[in-house]
Amino acid sequence: MNRNSRWKLALSNWDMYLLLVPGLIFLLVFKYTPMYGVVIAFQDFNIFSGIGDSEWVGFEHFQKLIHSDDFFQVLTNTLLISMYKIVLLFPIPIVVALLLNEVRKMLFKRSIQTIIYLPHFLSWVVISGLFVTLLSPTDGLVNQIIIAFGGKPISFLQDNSFFRSVVVFTAGWKEIGWNAIIFIAAIAGIDQEQYEAASIDGAGRIRKMISITLPGIMPTIVLMLILRIGSLLEAGTEQILTMYNPLVYDSGDVIGTYVYRMGLGQQDYSFSTAVGLFNSLVGFILIISGNMLSKKFLKRSIW
Amino acid sequence: MKQMTKVLSIAASTVVLASSLAACSSNSNNNANNAAASNAPAATTDNAAATDSNANLPTLKRLDVFQGEDYANYPVAKLLEEKTGYKVQYDMLPQDNPAQKLNLLMASGEPYDIVTSYIDMALYSDYAKKGALIDLTPLIDQFGPNIKTAISQQSMDALKVDGKLYGIPNIITYPVGTGILIRTDWLDKVGMKMPTTTDEFQAVLQAFKDKDPGGNGSQDVPFTIKGDLPMIDDLVGAFGMPNPWNDVDGQLVPRVLDPSFPDYANYVAGLYAGGLLDKEFVVNKDATAKEKFSSGKAGAIAIHWADIPGVSDALTKAVPDAKFTYLPALKGPNGKSGFGANKGFDRLSFIPKSAKNPEDAIKWINASLESNTFKELAIGVEGTHYTVDNGAYMPILPIFNDERNLANNYMVGTDEANYPQYWQARVHKNPVMFEAFDTLNNKTADSDKILNELSVAPYLENYSKNNLKLETMSGDYTVKLIAGGEKIDGLADFQKKFNAEGGEASAKEVNAWYTSK
Amino acid sequence: MHSKKISDYALDTVIYVILIAMGLSTLLPFITVLSKSVSEEWAITSGKVNLFPVGFQLDTLQYVVTNHQFLHALLISALVAVAGTLASLLITAMTAYPLSKRELPGVGIIIILFVFTMMFNGGIIPNYLLIRQLDLIDNLGSLVLPALISVFNMLVIKSYFESLPPSLEESAKIDGARNYTILFRIILPLSGPVLATIGLFYAVYYWNDYFNPMLYINSTSLKPLQLYLQDIVMNADSSSFKMSAEDMMNVPAEGVRAATVIASTVPILLVYPFLQKYFIKGVLIGSVKG
Repeated sequence: MNRNSRWKLALSNWDMYLLLVPGLIFLLVFKYTPMYGVVIAFQDFNIFSGIGDSEWVGFEHFQKLIHSDDFFQVLTNTLLISMYKIVLLFPIPIVVALLLNEVRKMLFKRSIQTIIYLPHFLSWVVISGLFVTLLSPTDGLVNQIIIAFGGKPISFLQDNSFFRSVVVFTAGWKEIGWNAIIFIAAIAGIDQEQYEAASIDGAGRIRKMISITLPGIMPTIVLMLILRIGSLLEAGTEQILTMYNPLVYDSGDVIGTYVYRMGLGQQDYSFSTAVGLFNSLVGFILIISGNMLSKKFLKRSIW
Repeated sequence: MKQMTKVLSIAASTVVLASSLAACSSNSNNNANNAAASNAPAATTDNAAATDSNANLPTLKRLDVFQGEDYANYPVAKLLEEKTGYKVQYDMLPQDNPAQKLNLLMASGEPYDIVTSYIDMALYSDYAKKGALIDLTPLIDQFGPNIKTAISQQSMDALKVDGKLYGIPNIITYPVGTGILIRTDWLDKVGMKMPTTTDEFQAVLQAFKDKDPGGNGSQDVPFTIKGDLPMIDDLVGAFGMPNPWNDVDGQLVPRVLDPSFPDYANYVAGLYAGGLLDKEFVVNKDATAKEKFSSGKAGAIAIHWADIPGVSDALTKAVPDAKFTYLPALKGPNGKSGFGANKGFDRLSFIPKSAKNPEDAIKWINASLESNTFKELAIGVEGTHYTVDNGAYMPILPIFNDERNLANNYMVGTDEANYPQYWQARVHKNPVMFEAFDTLNNKTADSDKILNELSVAPYLENYSKNNLKLETMSGDYTVKLIAGGEKIDGLADFQKKFNAEGGEASAKEVNAWYTSK
Repeated sequence: MHSKKISDYALDTVIYVILIAMGLSTLLPFITVLSKSVSEEWAITSGKVNLFPVGFQLDTLQYVVTNHQFLHALLISALVAVAGTLASLLITAMTAYPLSKRELPGVGIIIILFVFTMMFNGGIIPNYLLIRQLDLIDNLGSLVLPALISVFNMLVIKSYFESLPPSLEESAKIDGARNYTILFRIILPLSGPVLATIGLFYAVYYWNDYFNPMLYINSTSLKPLQLYLQDIVMNADSSSFKMSAEDMMNVPAEGVRAATVIASTVPILLVYPFLQKYFIKGVLIGSVKG
């Protein structure tokens, strides 16, 4: 397309741009206007002096983060937990949505849908408390089952070889129903004619699931995956804070919890902004790369 | 067309709702007036004369700590309005991370006349140095005779920043908070006396484990604590470290650098290894530890006396003949003993530069600290809210709870000579709690209440900056030592790290103050 | 035919077993909280309440639900959630539609500008100063305006629009319809599932938002439910180093906290079942086309 015809296209769709106006105003005022705030990551910001009069310190805060003794361990934990969560947990809600789609009894389907999304609404404090009880080596249900089968009780929450698994499992369990919603909706958006046509061809349920439903929600899956990868450095700070203890720092301490635990971010706006900026940068690079990969291999792109 | 109409009607209702949002809110000043207006009638009819003479007094804007009930509708607010003649509009800080909100409000110059927050010397001193607070001395000299009588010179001096006074403190009313509660009926069952030394304590716990006095079999926990407090009060005292920093040969030394620290860690690690200390203490939250004690599974627990009413209620339901009391100050292997004793302040009030009515704020504070007003604010009216029994103030329930439970949130400064006495009425609300409080605070020998020197120190910059981090490091390390995640041979390495992370800088600063004091 | 039926039964059985197991396990925490809200306090303190209430009573729940502050906060939350969700849905759909037309000049760069803000933001202080400059402090607008468009939600709607067959619009365009007419008359009516989903996401966001009200709302009379809830439920021991004995004596009982959680969660939980008809119907695009 040459310049001229692009202009023509734009002009003839002037009302499309008009539709964009409220969104763009929002973007400018509420998202880009405050963006100047990132500079405090390079300052020794004092809230009373403001950005104008605070002292500039360059990359000092980034160095403080990266050079702290435990940073390597903490970064490793973050990446490991986060990758486990993506690899193991990302597909589950899709499977659940597909299974729910196979249920014919509407009342059952709706009830299950509603029930499995309940834990999303409870805070981690409540959920962690429940799991501490369930996993207790002396009287927890899980260990009583292990003992009944002749095993030895396991201190899941005090053992570095189990802690990450517990974190990944509980996170998955809490969010399955919530994360499935978007796929359930995507399935509902699939053109029903395709199923009718397939039935006429004699396709079975599993084949329809694989050849119609799954491709039908693929755009949603790709979009969700790319966005999910963007938050790789957020391994679940709130969750881990409520679940861990000093004995499992070696496997469970992630960037968010480390910063919190060391009191590094408390009222230290500059340092917490620096940590945030580090996370954002990594996240943005990941989203861009994810989108590029998707464009190359799946012929799909967010923009 | 039908669809279009539907969409349009949704859009229209959105606009209506949005504008009703705008109408519903208003800027804070208008809101103040509204709130005052709606609450005013009750107060004014009571005392019409006062209202007349005070017709042109401004409404004060006060920012205060979180409380579960509405400030304006609590009976104390009405009392203060009558006694001071001022209407006050109260806002409160959130329960979670109040410092963050306070910072924003202070930095953006919200026109509060009085701000009361939990004591945070670092924040206070930062505000003062950045010129965000009003120097109170001239105002107090002019309008605050009662303030001068109520607040001791010593307290005022402790809050001076660069020689000027910017804040009014509320004093801490009792020295000792946490001790080890033990089941005395278990002691009887195993036929042992109340332990007085750490060795005897260990023997008692062993008996609790072996003889199963609770009848819970393998689920018995001889001694439970919560996971984030590995420095167990009373036991640390037995090893000569009752406070976070203790005097060693004339210098204040943090616990992890204290020569007795290895002995303490070995002792508690021994309890843990022998199954005497809760095997799951590292995952214990506050509630989990309490749960074990109040269900009758644990023989002893480290707990604050203020937590006792709930625990006691639950325990007597679960095990009707259960009895418990605090252990005395145990003697350690070197004959040392004692509880850490705090002095100093728990709240601080100040007047921001952005206040519209600083003079009136001081007048209000002055009126509220008038000795009879303060007494009525603190514990109410004799015969209605309390009685005096043998010189002790006893609350009348339930009215005391309903009308004075939250009184301390309204105080700006305290009548320091009398408040600790008034205050004990609150502890009398629950006889079991009072007995526990009494054991720790009134019946413990003065020589076993060992002053936490740092609780009365002035603002120390390095110490304040690093304290939280250092405390966390030490606590985590000690938990690992106790639970076998670290060996005591590595202590020197940890100490090196501790010093590098600010321990050394803090120690220098702390001792520069301590030795010159 | 016969064999097919058996495999069908087998498939159904597997599906039902998996879903029921999941349903039971996810129901667990909610039942625990519910049981605590109707149990006697002593039973909760001593850890006796797990699945079933001990010493059944409704006083706690009644105390929470009839509390004046609770009701007021509930009203504020409902107002913010309804107004916020409608406004957000409208603006988000309006933004997503043009952005679903990749061929339009400038669309690619605008999407990147939006995606950029998913990762980068100015932080608490500049946002606070902005809200202050707009004179929105202590104004319910401060809870809605900064959250009008969630980029995540916008991308989901955009992706849905992209999946609609272009033939839908083409015939209308030939008839001379303008783009906004197409959006409101043809596209949106066909977007039931995605609008219901995003509507739910927005409603839950507005309902659960704690951070913005914490920063921007000062007056007790404008506090939404989450702020009220957070103050009540806040883990008592996480701030213990600042708590005086006074505060410890006044920490709300565990039962009250559980009842508050229940009372403030149930209203939003009811939204989803209500929206489910939009998920289940499915769209008969063919019938619209024809």
